[in-house]
Amino acid sequence: MSIAITTQFICFTVLTLVVIIGALGVVLLESIVYSAFLLGGVFMSVAGLYLLLNASFVAAAQVLVYVGAVNVLIIFAIMLVNKKEDLKPIGDIKSRRIISTSICLTLLSLLIRVDLTNVWSLSSPQNSIGEESTIRIGEHLFSDYLLPFEVASVLLLMAMIGAIVLARRDVLSKDISTGLPVDQELIEKSSEPLLTNKN
Amino acid sequence: MPNEIFTINLNAQAIIPEAFILLGIVGTLLVDLAGEKTASKWAPIICYFSIGSSLLSLALQWTNPVNSSFLGSFNSDNLAIAFRAIIALSTLISLLISWRYTEQSGSPIGEFAAIILSATLGAMLLCGSTDLISVFISLETLSVASYLLSGYLKRDPRSSEAALKYLLVGSAAAAVYLYGSSFLYGLSGSTNLTTIGLEIINKPSFITSLALVFVLSTVAFKIAAVPFHQWTPDVYEGSPTPVVAFLSVGSKTAGFAFAIRILSTSFSSFDEEWKLLFTILAILSMALGNVVALAQTSMKRMLAYSSIGQAGFVMIGIVSGTQDGLSAAVLYLAAYLFMNLGAFSCVILFSLRTGSDKILDYSGLYQKDPLITLGLSLCLLSLGGLPPMLGFFGKIYLFFAGWANHQYLLVIVGLVTSVISIYYYISVIKMMVVKEPKEASEIVKSYPEINWGIVGLPPLRIALYTCVAVTALGGILSNPFFKLANTAVSETPFLQDIIAIANNIS
Repeated sequence: MSIAITTQFICFTVLTLVVIIGALGVVLLESIVYSAFLLGGVFMSVAGLYLLLNASFVAAAQVLVYVGAVNVLIIFAIMLVNKKEDLKPIGDIKSRRIISTSICLTLLSLLIRVDLTNVWSLSSPQNSIGEESTIRIGEHLFSDYLLPFEVASVLLLMAMIGAIVLARRDVLSKDISTGLPVDQELIEKSSEPLLTNKN
Repeated sequence: MPNEIFTINLNAQAIIPEAFILLGIVGTLLVDLAGEKTASKWAPIICYFSIGSSLLSLALQWTNPVNSSFLGSFNSDNLAIAFRAIIALSTLISLLISWRYTEQSGSPIGEFAAIILSATLGAMLLCGSTDLISVFISLETLSVASYLLSGYLKRDPRSSEAALKYLLVGSAAAAVYLYGSSFLYGLSGSTNLTTIGLEIINKPSFITSLALVFVLSTVAFKIAAVPFHQWTPDVYEGSPTPVVAFLSVGSKTAGFAFAIRILSTSFSSFDEEWKLLFTILAILSMALGNVVALAQTSMKRMLAYSSIGQAGFVMIGIVSGTQDGLSAAVLYLAAYLFMNLGAFSCVILFSLRTGSDKILDYSGLYQKDPLITLGLSLCLLSLGGLPPMLGFFGKIYLFFAGWANHQYLLVIVGLVTSVISIYYYISVIKMMVVKEPKEASEIVKSYPEINWGIVGLPPLRIALYTCVAVTALGGILSNPFFKLANTAVSETPFLQDIIAIANNIS
């Protein structure tokens, strides 16, 4: 075993262990803050796995987007709604857990079977392009993926406007054309709210 | 490579209709900067112009479709043009019936128009996308805009609940789609739908079936087929009614267009598998949608369940996969556009005047408001499929195409559930018409005086008249619709393979 392969193997083992243990911690730990920080660790180790696969661009994107944006957002959300609230215990939690565990295990066994039965190698072996990948992605973005790339800007613009509309405080207090008072609720008034209706 | 980039022919004229919609988005956002008063005056005009010119450019494309543009990310073939026209029309009508509703509920009009136009943009692009990435981006544009629209009346807990439920279920569906498409990319090394279809013919069937199931479940979520329908009733009940009108027609049409495209290009060699799955989805949707609609007390909820059932009818055409079947599906979607939006414009008008959408509150309405009674009755009869309405001809064509393709089970289930649906549609009509004046509901007894003068009501009136007229007369004059639907299918290159397969089997 050459040094390169040994190093790679050690890195792979460490990263995989961190991913698996971290992911278990995210799900199993009671404190949501621990879960959030462990999730950041999981994201970082996945980025490391991408690096091992010679996908440096994806690794950088993973760190920027998931650790830098998503995870920070989650932690912010936790800080902002840090309210002590006694939640009602959910009835028959045990059977729910058994059902969801069995569903997840079925899916896992399905995926393992797919992994084992399928031949993953492509018909034409492609050399890893490593460092060049960023350039290649840029070329694709401005040639055959031009349309999705441009539509993504519309998506982001609309998401931003929508977020502002939903989050801003100043709401109209009267109907623009008739001047009657408004309440920003559905025109169809209901006598009972949906949630209480069902419980 | 770098030099080649400058000489590539993009065929960008394929997305001119979408470009007009984009101009509309920018325009409505700009006038919104000038304040609410200006926005409520100018945003409607900008929307009419942008959708109108979009429809016009779609009509111009009809005779010379662009069969590949953006290096294989987008096709503007006749099928895509037909579906995009249906979506643009549904947005136009939904906007016409929404102005009064948004103003009366006190929500900003400019942003509402911009978001609904972006949803249209995503839906229209989805109809023509031929690449996994552009499918995903346009699907997300449509979905994110729909989440925002359903939560638009943020002070109402029902609206927020609808948005949250829609967001959670929708994100799960998007994730499942991405997982399925990562399988497809891993198997074929390409994101182009046609190339994937050629590459996966010889691959092991297990993983391709898994990818098929993942992709199909996303489609089923978008068209609200049972058992992926749980979000529909709550979202439809909690969203602003004009948004429901758009979701039930525009968003569903986009889902069907995507379904036809991916199933007949990428999975054309797996037609037995997907036809079986689609048959199950269709039977469940028709049965459950129509049976549960019987028990509803809220008009919006009833229309939600009925739309689940209607989606099941359209699936009969797609399962048969013949020339007639596919054109029947296109025709039925066009018919559904008019009859469903006609019904929604009546429901919106009623709730604007009374603030209620309970079916019981409609009792005795014909005394006070004959227009709503007549319009709603015609549209509901057409949805139920009674002659001589538009819906009858659409449905009979679907059943005929299914029967010719030996889909006996589907057609029989369709016929039985149609009869069930006629029962609950007629019971609403009976409620409105038969009750004596003294039996009328409290709400109808205190019905306000009819006043069409308020800003936003004239557009609603135009939409109502148009939809009801097309629904009532379109059946008799439906020959041009038949021809257009037939051309849309027969002039579309990618459908010919699957039609040939269907013809060989039968």
